[in-house]
Amino acid sequence: MKYLMLTYGNQAKWDSLPAESWPEAIAKQEAFNAKYRETGELLGAYGLADAVNARLVRRSEGVPVVTDGPYLETKEYLATFYLLDCESEERAQQIAADMPWADVEPVELWPILHESAAEA
Amino acid sequence: MSVDRHVEDLLRELAPQVLGALVRRYGRFDSCEDAVQEALLQAALAWPAGGLPENPRGWLVTVASRRLMDQLRSEQARQRREYQMAVATPEAELLGRAADADAATDRDDSLALLFMCCHPALSEPSQTALTLRAVGGLTTAQIAAAFLVPEATMAQRISRAKQSIRASGVPFGRPDGAEGAERLRAVLHVLYLIFNEGYTTSAGPDLTAPGLSDEAIRLTRWLRRLLPDDTEVAGLLALMLLTDARRAARTRPDGSLVPLAEQDRGAWDRRRIAEGVALITEALPHGPVGPYQVQAAIAAVHDEAPDLDDTDWPQILALYDLLETVAPNPMVTLNRAVAVAMVHGPAAALELLATLETDSRMARHHRLLATRAHLLELAGDRAAAATGYREASLRATSLPERRYLSDRAGRLAGDGGGR
Repeated sequence: MKYLMLTYGNQAKWDSLPAESWPEAIAKQEAFNAKYRETGELLGAYGLADAVNARLVRRSEGVPVVTDGPYLETKEYLATFYLLDCESEERAQQIAADMPWADVEPVELWPILHESAAEA
Repeated sequence: MSVDRHVEDLLRELAPQVLGALVRRYGRFDSCEDAVQEALLQAALAWPAGGLPENPRGWLVTVASRRLMDQLRSEQARQRREYQMAVATPEAELLGRAADADAATDRDDSLALLFMCCHPALSEPSQTALTLRAVGGLTTAQIAAAFLVPEATMAQRISRAKQSIRASGVPFGRPDGAEGAERLRAVLHVLYLIFNEGYTTSAGPDLTAPGLSDEAIRLTRWLRRLLPDDTEVAGLLALMLLTDARRAARTRPDGSLVPLAEQDRGAWDRRRIAEGVALITEALPHGPVGPYQVQAAIAAVHDEAPDLDDTDWPQILALYDLLETVAPNPMVTLNRAVAVAMVHGPAAALELLATLETDSRMARHHRLLATRAHLLELAGDRAAAATGYREASLRATSLPERRYLSDRAGRLAGDGGGR
């Protein structure tokens, strides 16, 4: 069963972390990633760019139209997402709780209902 | 194409024999497995063009042994001992298969291999992946495609499983006595998981990855040839055939699910049904009766009924009673409730379901909610049934199921008239 794990944040929150503690923070996250990649349960881990770099894309009369946004109403926005494939929901919860900052910030865990299979 | 197909079938038939022979001789399951995979790959490239060698099994054993030697040689400094042992082995011991070749050795090697792949030290996903690769002869890419995970992830799982086997020091061979019986149960469970994975995902026709259900049936057939007297092996094979027989009628072209009541029974595969019925009819009187045999018997009653109303429900209920004594679990109780409704009416069935609702894990399970909605519908309480189906659809774990349940909710809540 596949799961999407999400964390949220914002620039102010990240700025509050002193620069010298970043290497350790990154190393912790990389250790987590390596641990679950090795068990074959972490399919991918992705960090997103800042919200100012996000764009809204539409198609209008067949032509792409790109505008600034999204303008979020929430204070925090999507920061990283992780794709898991594990034996059970209990196991996915166990992995989420093992995230380096799960003792400070909750991690969102969404079961994945459907995946488009690649046709041969 | 047909030559390729023939070669592929042959290679997958030989894969466990060749790997079994190597592991029996050299131990080191992980290295042997790599070597055999490389030999299989080489054969898959060479045979379709150049024709089959005179002794395909011998060819594979030779090539795989050489690969293993190469590998061991490269680790020579570190593992001098294994190297010498391997080189000291006369090749004739591996290749010496005269016309009266000992089929029993192949049989034992293959079984030992299967039992090793289902070792309790491994998680279920690892057991499944390893069985498909080592015994089924599938490539990592094929297994990854079947389970919809990246190839690198599957490779990692398989290599980890092999390390665990190595670290646990599992001896190569079939455990006997109670441990052997326990392990056979694990083997059957893994084959059943593979079958179910294929049956429930049912992706489109895929030319590179064989369907997991077909693969599970192939492996269970093969296991039955090796253990012809085991009635649970026969029961599992019968269950797979009798379930798979309904495959074509089970989904519409748009992928939506068709419930048993609405399936076009003319589209059921009569040959599979006949084979499954024959198997279970032969197995049941020989006992001991296990859960796979009982489930196969239930599937057989459904498959032989001309329609839902003419189904022998008292017989099905009796079988579920039996199943609940042999292998009690909440899912069995759910299915039994449906049979109770058909025999004694929905009120009795709802009473039975109430006993499950105290189980906190089950209370929110979409199958329980869906079954209760179904019983409420039978009882004529359309509003409660619609709410129940809606609730169940939100909790469903697959998209077709979710669509099916919300569709039922919509039909009941909608016009209030017939369908």
